[in-house]
Amino acid sequence: MKPITSWRERLLVLACLTPALALVGLFTIWPVVWAVVQSFTNRSLIGEGALNPHYIGLDNYRSLLHDHSFYASIGRSAEFVFVSAILAQTLLGFLIAYLLATRPRWRLRFRSLFAIVFLLPLAVPETVAALAWASMADGTRNGLLNRFIGLFGVGPVQWLQNDAMLTLIIINIWRGIPFAMVLFAAALASTPTETLEASMVDGATAWQQLRRITLPMIRPQILLFLLLTTITTFGIFGLVYFLTKGGPGDATTIVGIYIYRQAFQFYEIGYGSAAGVLMLLILLVLGVGYVRLMRDQV
Amino acid sequence: MATEQAPGLSYAVRAQSSGSAIGRIAAYAILFAFVVFALVPFSWVILAAFDQHASTFAKVPHAWTLSNFAHVFSHAGGLRLVINSLIYAGGATVVLVIVTTLAGYVLSRFAFRGRRALMLGLLLTRVIPPTATIAPLYVIAIRLHLTDSYIGMILILSALEIPLGIWIMKGFFDTVPIEIEEAAWVDGAHRLRTAFRIVLPLAGPGVAAAALIAFIDAWGDFLIPLILISDPNKMPISIGLFRAWTSYTQVDWGLLGALSIVYMIPAVVFYLFARRALARGLAGALAGT
Repeated sequence: MKPITSWRERLLVLACLTPALALVGLFTIWPVVWAVVQSFTNRSLIGEGALNPHYIGLDNYRSLLHDHSFYASIGRSAEFVFVSAILAQTLLGFLIAYLLATRPRWRLRFRSLFAIVFLLPLAVPETVAALAWASMADGTRNGLLNRFIGLFGVGPVQWLQNDAMLTLIIINIWRGIPFAMVLFAAALASTPTETLEASMVDGATAWQQLRRITLPMIRPQILLFLLLTTITTFGIFGLVYFLTKGGPGDATTIVGIYIYRQAFQFYEIGYGSAAGVLMLLILLVLGVGYVRLMRDQV
Repeated sequence: MATEQAPGLSYAVRAQSSGSAIGRIAAYAILFAFVVFALVPFSWVILAAFDQHASTFAKVPHAWTLSNFAHVFSHAGGLRLVINSLIYAGGATVVLVIVTTLAGYVLSRFAFRGRRALMLGLLLTRVIPPTATIAPLYVIAIRLHLTDSYIGMILILSALEIPLGIWIMKGFFDTVPIEIEEAAWVDGAHRLRTAFRIVLPLAGPGVAAAALIAFIDAWGDFLIPLILISDPNKMPISIGLFRAWTSYTQVDWGLLGALSIVYMIPAVVFYLFARRALARGLAGALAGT
């Protein structure tokens, strides 16, 4: 890499960066700025707020902070993120990656075949995943989930009607395991085997190796995964909207659905933008952590 | 490393190797359970696609048929959805490859003030989910006349992938030594032309990785067309599936199954190709999906 020395080079750099930065600026940065601006107005898609939107100060934020259903949506998102992503995806994804990883005295067969199969839930488009699970969670006796629990004499359960949140959590575990697996597999593959070999000579048990050697070594990658999955799971929309539209009632109205409803069902663009800004503030805290982790790679 | 040592070395080693046979069986059993968990949800999609009388739940067809697939492509609406999705995802991929190749190249080759901040800033945009800014994005799209527009969808879908694309591209350009280029400069070749004649082929895997990931994400996107596209003639497959599914009573389940398979095949195939790049590009990590 070398510093820019002539105006021709300066022009080249500028010309090459502009198209990419213009697109990101227009469709990613500008919406954020615009969300902040609109959050101080009563802009709407119908009625008074559509014809003549005007500045209303912090009113949207005041209403949001008194809006029980907004808090509830944050709470649901937190539950969704914590149970499906932080707990289940992390543990199960790590378990699979650990079993498939090659270590001294541990090498399973069919590793890449397993890895390909495990990748499928994430590889299919969101809507196909949702449609597949719509049938799995069919409330009649014929739904596959009900046939499965029927083996234990339980059910049938109206999954998407009575236990919608639980069902969505199961679905998101299914969809998120592959991402955890890929990240952890890469982390495990990059750990040196010498330490493990040495510890075996010292008589360390498999459990001790995992606790004392492997886990401490891949700590940064575990942290990276926790951050990434928290951020992406917080932003989930399609899977939930496809299956329940946030219902029944408000039962699965996570933050993303709440914002969509405010903006496109109640046409309250200003109010929806304010909710989006609060969501971004939460994510920004996580994002700063993410950037700190990645800083050394620039 | 281990603080509690086994009584003797030979004992410990023996215990371990005998334990690992059981461990191995347990490992295969656990992995097999996960295989079932990963695959069973697809059973309805696959069975329904080949069933003349498909319904909402999974059953083995009485009459196997390929007519559902024929329907997807003969039925005007079905073919339209497939073509639209190809236009959106293909267009977004082309735009992404062009702009991120340019940006990735200069970010890899030139040191200038703000370069590092720019890279980190791009990374930070990855934490902005479209969900949070959907209301302003819609207003901006209306002002720019980008709703119900092929161009609008292509530009917005590619914009969402650009930060990750730049990171991947820059990473691959970094692996191509500058000396290779410098050798060509001596011959008086123009700087950019050398870059694309000589460096681009060497950074090919990076281009492929960025393109595959962009295509998969744009191909599967649901939220952006949900708010931007209301003209049925311009809807992609994701919205077509959603509308068919929500019109519950008049659904042709076999057609829906077949369309789902047509929809998932490119995504799955590309995913398998991109697998290695995904693992390697741990950095940007496919945070979007």
